[in-house]
Amino acid sequence: MLGGLRSLWRVLSRRRSFEAGMTEELRFHIEEYTQDLIRSGLSPQEAERQARIEFGGVNTVQEECREARRLHLFDALGRESRYAVRLLRKSPGFTITATLTIALCLGANLTIFAVMDSILLRPLPFPEADRLVTVYNSYPKAGVERDGSSITNYYERRGQIPAFSSLSLYRNATAIVGESGFTEREQVVQVTPEFFSTLGLGPMLGRAFTERETSYQTDNVVILSDAYWRQHFNSDPGAIGRQLRMDGNPSTIVGILPPGFRFLSSEAKLFSPLSSNPEARSPQNRHSGGNSKHMIARLASEATLGLAQAQIDAQNAALGADNPKEQSFLSDAGFRSVVAGLHADHVAGIRPVLLWMQAGAIALLLIGAVNLMNLLLVRANGRMKEVAVRQALGASRLHVVSEAFVETTFLTMGGGLLGLAVGAAGIQLLAALGADRLPLGSNIALDARSAAAAFVGALLLGVLLAAPIVWLNLRGHSTATIRSEARGATSSRAAQRLRHAFIVAQIALALVLLSGAGILGLSLERAMAVSPGFRPGHVLTSQISVPWSSYRTWPDRVAFNEKLLRQLATQPGVAATGIVNNVPLSGRSGKSAAAVKGHSRRAGEAPRGHFAYGVDGDYFAAMGFSLREGRFLTASDSRRAGRVCVVDEDFARYYWPGTSALGQLVFNGPDVKDDSEAYTVVGVVGNVKQAGLTDEVAQGAVYYPYAMRSDENLFVVIRTSLPPESLAMALQRTVRQIDPDLPLSDVRSMESRITDSLIAYRSPALTVAIFSVVAVLLTAIGTYGVLSYAVTQRRREIGLRMALGARPGQIRAQFLALAMRLLGAGIAAGLVGAWIAGESMRALLFHVPPVHLATLIGSVALIGLVALGACLIPSYRAARISPMEALAGDQ
Amino acid sequence: MAKTAELLPGTLDMLILKAVSLRPLHGYGVLLRIKQISGEALDIPQGSLYPALYRLEHQELIAAEWAQSDNNRKAKFYTLTPAGRHRLREETASWNRLATAMAAALSATSEEV
Repeated sequence: MLGGLRSLWRVLSRRRSFEAGMTEELRFHIEEYTQDLIRSGLSPQEAERQARIEFGGVNTVQEECREARRLHLFDALGRESRYAVRLLRKSPGFTITATLTIALCLGANLTIFAVMDSILLRPLPFPEADRLVTVYNSYPKAGVERDGSSITNYYERRGQIPAFSSLSLYRNATAIVGESGFTEREQVVQVTPEFFSTLGLGPMLGRAFTERETSYQTDNVVILSDAYWRQHFNSDPGAIGRQLRMDGNPSTIVGILPPGFRFLSSEAKLFSPLSSNPEARSPQNRHSGGNSKHMIARLASEATLGLAQAQIDAQNAALGADNPKEQSFLSDAGFRSVVAGLHADHVAGIRPVLLWMQAGAIALLLIGAVNLMNLLLVRANGRMKEVAVRQALGASRLHVVSEAFVETTFLTMGGGLLGLAVGAAGIQLLAALGADRLPLGSNIALDARSAAAAFVGALLLGVLLAAPIVWLNLRGHSTATIRSEARGATSSRAAQRLRHAFIVAQIALALVLLSGAGILGLSLERAMAVSPGFRPGHVLTSQISVPWSSYRTWPDRVAFNEKLLRQLATQPGVAATGIVNNVPLSGRSGKSAAAVKGHSRRAGEAPRGHFAYGVDGDYFAAMGFSLREGRFLTASDSRRAGRVCVVDEDFARYYWPGTSALGQLVFNGPDVKDDSEAYTVVGVVGNVKQAGLTDEVAQGAVYYPYAMRSDENLFVVIRTSLPPESLAMALQRTVRQIDPDLPLSDVRSMESRITDSLIAYRSPALTVAIFSVVAVLLTAIGTYGVLSYAVTQRRREIGLRMALGARPGQIRAQFLALAMRLLGAGIAAGLVGAWIAGESMRALLFHVPPVHLATLIGSVALIGLVALGACLIPSYRAARISPMEALAGDQ
Repeated sequence: MAKTAELLPGTLDMLILKAVSLRPLHGYGVLLRIKQISGEALDIPQGSLYPALYRLEHQELIAAEWAQSDNNRKAKFYTLTPAGRHRLREETASWNRLATAMAAALSATSEEV
């Protein structure tokens, strides 16, 4: 078998020399024989004649020789390819329609597949990535579905959970890197020493961090990504041991990561140690500070997720036992630590979205395939007579089959090639929509793997499309076909039924897509209509990080804020400016505890996490908050570190229902302390959406003066009468004037933050909308094509009936009735499909029921109208057929 | 001309293998050699020789190489490959078994029944 293939390849690869050699060999034979015959006494002419006769037909022998070397199959393929190309060129309209349909449908699938593949299917780029897990804390009854893990969790678990061979903690942060005046803000991942060994991929030069480097003062070391090393150190191996200024402090470069290293969706180019002090590692802090730190671990060999989960649960129970007060607090909050696969957990949110987009693309492909199948069936039907004649003349069944396959595969391969371009364009489109902000979104690429998938898809589609034609060609008794076609009878009933079934399926699929697009679009619209709680128009926001090292105390930081706010206020067009440590929709939504004087939790009532902010300047006015009661916080509250605060409506309603919140006392932290540490509520503002517009849970928020809750990161918020982006340069200049070391990042208008936050709604809504527009078009083309073909096929019959007295109205009604039957069946099937699709799309919907009547009615109406339009033209044409022409014109 | 026998189906391959097992031969040489070793008793249609040669080459039982013929012309010479040698041994043994059995069967007389 293998030898045969080898031999075939040898011949195929040197086809020309094989042919020449064969001719030469046979000529040699005949000439040698001729010589022998001459020697035996024949005249040269006679000898040559005799030799040729005895040898037989040279062409036949050559053909048999080729067959002996299995070349005939390839010759046949070549012949059929040429024939297929000729046929396809003969009907350019069909070929172009078919190729474009395939290109569109395969391209759409390719785009979505490339996204699916990059995000869901491909393992993370680490050895045995399926053994990587994440562990997070959950307090669902306190409204904190998901928190990270604390430093204490890390020190208590490390080496204590046998199911993990390695465990580490990381935190996404930023640092100001570079010499004074040339600083850049860089994303940094702070990691514990075994982070790289947990991942299984560490520095290719230098070393990872050590245990000693997890304490302040000894943590001035940094590991560079390959990209950073190349950009800033020109790939110099001597960079190890050199210094890099981070947040003003010199840090020694100890390692350089390999080129492909990328941790989840992080864009970070620098890695630094995650340091802590003994206090942060103590049991008191087991449940605090977790929202920014994340735990990853590698499962030991043989260990399963279930085992790890059991061991974590057991440890949590044992650790809680010595603190009954905390234990009851935790059980009220429904506390649990969850172990989940790292990859699966990272993409969990986007998974249903992608699966639905892929389902939509496949539905589109099916619709396109149905159209092509109908077109091909029509062509095949037209050629049935020819095929039957050829079969009668001795063409083998194999030949008929391979011919159909060759033709359709040629079409689908050509379409697939174009589809690659469509797919590439689709990925560009998704990128423009912000697909790179999806988890692992920056990995999205059209690569060899997706191209291979497209190739296989095109091949399969070719085979699939050929199947009904082959069936049609082989099924019919050929002599019957010849005779019936000669009489000009209608096409076979089976083929007709098949075409009708396809139309029904097509209408149904288009309806499902259309109604799906409808409810997704409605979700998007309703999500966009949600009031964020502030007025986002004309607001520019930007992130600045003010390092502890240069701004050690709160007066330093407040002084910086004051200078910035004052200088910004002098810019033309600025109406109000403010500062907050976490602007809404920034992507960060950590919550922390607040205690309220006079409020004791009822038995079984969960403690609640609230959003907590530090604000400075005219933050509320700049954002356009609404005031419900009392007053806003102002810059002067920050300056004197006044113990006042503002809460939002949710907070006020929860703790003081029915009474005024003004004058009430709130504590920053989980416990009620001495009154001198209390913050007096001086105002109540409207609720805002912190995490996302579609957030349903009323979480409550407390706004403290900036001095009391300052953060290394701050957001500056400017309300302006100009287009907000136009202020970006002025903002940058102002910040540099105050401190040339402070870079700006994430400069965006509030409106664009809102738009970006809806990508999980917008992308599927938009792609499915595009799909359904194409689907409706394809359905219209398909329906029109099939019905007008039916009319052509039945010209003779119609002519006859009209000659016998049928009125045009009757003929028209007959065709319309057929169309209505198909449409009715398609809509019925489509409604069932739409119901199923809607139910399984629940997770993607926002304030829209899975079965939305108005959307369904609209979709049915649209599909009905389009299909009806596509039916009317052929029906009217049928009624206009002239009996004389129809009867005479038929051959 | 001596009386010639029709070839049994499948025996041509065997004869070719045998012929080229003695020394490398070109196609015409194979024909002559088969005639010679069969005592001119076997008649091979000339045209059917080449498809058989090509089939055996495809199966890698024989190998071909261009070389100078006796009268200094370029010709394609066939030699037996190790796989071909193995095949020839097998086929010979099985043919001999068949021939012995056939001979025994056909020489039976009425007393032996």
